[in-house]
Amino acid sequence: MREPTYFVLASLLDGPLHGYAIIQRAEHLSGGQVRLATGTLYTALDRLTADGFVELVREEIVNGRARRSYGLTPSGSGALRTEASRMADASRLVTNRSHRLKTAGRAGEASPA
Amino acid sequence: MTPIERHCGWLLHAYPAWYRRDRAAEMVGTLLESSPPGAKWPSFRDARALVTGGLRVRGWTWLLAMLWVVIGAGGAVYATVAFSHPGYGQGDVFRPMFQWPGEPMVVITVGITAQVVWMLLPVPVMVAGFIRLRGWRRRNWLRATGWAGSWVGGLALMITAGEWANAGMYDNRGVLRIGEMAVCAAWLILGVVMTWILGAAPVPRARSVPDNTVTGE
Repeated sequence: MREPTYFVLASLLDGPLHGYAIIQRAEHLSGGQVRLATGTLYTALDRLTADGFVELVREEIVNGRARRSYGLTPSGSGALRTEASRMADASRLVTNRSHRLKTAGRAGEASPA
Repeated sequence: MTPIERHCGWLLHAYPAWYRRDRAAEMVGTLLESSPPGAKWPSFRDARALVTGGLRVRGWTWLLAMLWVVIGAGGAVYATVAFSHPGYGQGDVFRPMFQWPGEPMVVITVGITAQVVWMLLPVPVMVAGFIRLRGWRRRNWLRATGWAGSWVGGLALMITAGEWANAGMYDNRGVLRIGEMAVCAAWLILGVVMTWILGAAPVPRARSVPDNTVTGE
């Protein structure tokens, strides 16, 4: 799963959002790392809708224009949690090894040959 | 309509008509919200994403078909330029290529490459179009027939261009030919026809809007 896709799904965890709100939420959640362009967002929403991860939940008319809100489906929520778990495992692989290397380094300094 | 709305509308033409009918108003709304107040154009990032997103929605079939059409139209313009040079057909670098004495090698190289691509494209264009239009399904016969007709038209234009090239190979015409411009126009019309045939959604979009449309500010 690509990073923008991950943050689009993550932005919908707290409930359905419309397009611009997804852009803002994804930017906030990623600490400013993921700034979705409008075209990119709708490409992602099309793909996620086709995959059954996201669904259209509400359509409003705001200032004469359609405003649609999208929400996570159970399948999308599951995919997001699976991806989060995979990334956490991948992260632990590195952080645990770094910790062991630091520990080994300190032990080496304490008992020189 | 504000300038930014108008400019967003232009950029949204990168998307096919069926997609714009469904999404344009919503996308313009999002673009307006994400643009700073008073902006007349969407940001470069937004503009680039709209164009690439539109081409992605149009798909490979459209891109292949348009490449075939654009090379054909460009080739016709090139032929017009080549024919306007005295000594056309006397070049010795690549005989099957339109060229004139003293033509820069880089132009010849680009021309040869484009010519090879152009000659190879009809087969993938035909196959991709047939697959995209689900030509094997009986209810799609009209669009598949239109596609096949366009393809035959494209081949006819290719053959016409080839015959003119051969006819002028040992000729010192040195005049601007109107016929090549007609071929160029025919290629562009073919492009419009192919775009129109491919214009419908490839697969019916399974989107269900719940019946709770409300009006807000």
